[in-house]
Amino acid sequence: MICYLCLTSIKEDTTWSNFLNPQYRTICDHCEEKLDKITHPHCQKCMKPTDNEKCGDCLRWEQHFGEDPLGRNVSIYTYNDYMKDLIARFKYRGDYEMINAWKKSVRTSFNEQFNNQDLLVVPIPLGEDRYTIRQFNQAEAIASLLNEPIHQLLTRQDGQKQSKKSRRERVFSNNPFQLKEQPPESILLVDDIYTTGTTIRQAASLLKEAGAEHVQSLTLIRS
Amino acid sequence: MTTTPPLIEDLARKFSTKLLLKHELNLSEHRFQYLIDQNYLQEVDGIRSTLNFHECNRCFNKNQSLFGKIPQHARAPITYCKKCIQMGRVSTKESLYRWTGTHPMRHKVMNPLKWKGILTPLQEKASQKMVEAVNNQSKLLIYAVCGAGKTEMLYAGIQEAIKQNKRVCVATPRADVVRELAPRLRRDFPTIHSSALYGGSTERDQNNHLVIATTHQLLRYENSFDLMIVDEVDAFPYHRDKTLPKAVTRASKPNSTQIYLTATPRRSHKLQIATKQIPTVSIPSRYHGHPIPTPTFQAVLRLNDKLEKGVLPPKITQWIKEKQTTNRRFLLFAPTIQLAEKLAEKLNMPYVHAESPDREYLIKQFRARAFQSLITTTILERGVTFPSIDVAVIQADHHVFDEAALIQIAGRAGRSASDPTGDVTFFYEYKTNAMIQARNYTILKNKEAKRCNI
Repeated sequence: MICYLCLTSIKEDTTWSNFLNPQYRTICDHCEEKLDKITHPHCQKCMKPTDNEKCGDCLRWEQHFGEDPLGRNVSIYTYNDYMKDLIARFKYRGDYEMINAWKKSVRTSFNEQFNNQDLLVVPIPLGEDRYTIRQFNQAEAIASLLNEPIHQLLTRQDGQKQSKKSRRERVFSNNPFQLKEQPPESILLVDDIYTTGTTIRQAASLLKEAGAEHVQSLTLIRS
Repeated sequence: MTTTPPLIEDLARKFSTKLLLKHELNLSEHRFQYLIDQNYLQEVDGIRSTLNFHECNRCFNKNQSLFGKIPQHARAPITYCKKCIQMGRVSTKESLYRWTGTHPMRHKVMNPLKWKGILTPLQEKASQKMVEAVNNQSKLLIYAVCGAGKTEMLYAGIQEAIKQNKRVCVATPRADVVRELAPRLRRDFPTIHSSALYGGSTERDQNNHLVIATTHQLLRYENSFDLMIVDEVDAFPYHRDKTLPKAVTRASKPNSTQIYLTATPRRSHKLQIATKQIPTVSIPSRYHGHPIPTPTFQAVLRLNDKLEKGVLPPKITQWIKEKQTTNRRFLLFAPTIQLAEKLAEKLNMPYVHAESPDREYLIKQFRARAFQSLITTTILERGVTFPSIDVAVIQADHHVFDEAALIQIAGRAGRSASDPTGDVTFFYEYKTNAMIQARNYTILKNKEAKRCNI
């Protein structure tokens, strides 16, 4: 057993409670400690840390759209310095197997927040150019942790990197997504990072226009 | 379609004797294809796989648990190396590229050394041995105590190599050491081209005369250097990681000179010295001729318990107070980051460890005498020199303080000629072999030094 983040081996004691049913850990205590899970209080809608029920971002979205296409976003971790380094390694260096370190927390969060809902899991797609460089889609990688069937409902035209744009540019850029088929009633979008929420909302509004009733999202990080 | 031939000479300077990933070449697709077609670049598999056993062609990794797989739609998964992923991903789909065009020229420098200091007779001896090694393309181990003036001993050898238009590399396992060595070498060899390479440095090597690099950076090189100097060969991670010596060998040319420097050789090197497999020159005395400070042992009853509870035993507080009243600057070594943090809070002092973000800044500030004391983990055990300081090790019986670490720590004290004595104190609960060996080492070396000086 090795920790997928620091690549050192994890030794776990065998005790009466686990000798029949060994738990395979994918992250060591030391690394887990450095990750920062989002705690209360936070925005009921997008999980941004705030004392109010809804954060300023979400109120602005409601003004912008009239009715916000996104029902709710659930994130797990904050974007602290350690997480920034990890994401750089995961996305830009391309260490695919790091997702295993987050397996347990992603599954727990999914089961707690979206259990027994008849959802269709849709990862946010990656443009073709970027896919050729990275050889995997990070959103799909995270979605694959859920043990649910994944549906590629959307395609994406390559654009400028979101992380290289200003907030204003992001919010008012054209919708890069296209629909492949008719969406069902309830959808769970999956992505790696929720920053301004533009990407998720662009996908959500497209799905809603095409007839989806309820769109929610699960993201690993709320930055 | 007409192609404008790229500036081959310029590209040769950038790519020659390296193994690079496609994105590290940083070429347009068009140029890249041209260079491949014209046989200027040769593709090398990133991962060598036989049956289901993988080996990374860049970092020599053979540990199968450090290979990852990326699933692909309707295709076999891609295997990639996790060990060297910080340098960019090497995989079964991402190859390395080797320059097969002509080798670039370097301009000759006749008298690169501008240093005007004088070597002690012992340093002179080592220096001459090294010049011989450069001319004979042989190996040499320089076994010199901390503070012997190792860097200055290298100057004549480096000068000789550069005069013969040879390419020189000074490699070391620690980035801190690179950052300390590079400005000194540049000051004393001002007319040559040099680059300092470590994770996060922005400098590029374009077939320079001199490269100062961490041993990790050498993973990008192949048949590149005529003179390879490895400083602190016994330091982590070089002595643990079997792949780094391989990287050093690959980065050196077949007929190269190899110089190893150490104050605390590990068992394998000790064995080679004893069996005379590697020519060795030993420098038991410091450049200023004064003996190395012998560590004082201070047993503290129930030290570990007390520290756990956050209580500082009076022996330690007294030591600190004494230094503060006499206005001596000092370093406190702690075995773990947690303890360093606790001590820092308790004593209200700054502390550094491997992951502290302002590590470079704090070290600079301490050197500039901005504060009197600094708490540190073993990261400052070697390579860094502060003039006139005292040293204390808290929990010297902790397993991270092995013989080499303790010798190196003791070697931080009394470095300057104007203040050659320093106090080294080990606070411990149970005496360990490492502590005794470290003390015996200083006693033995001081004896040897006396014999040499007479």
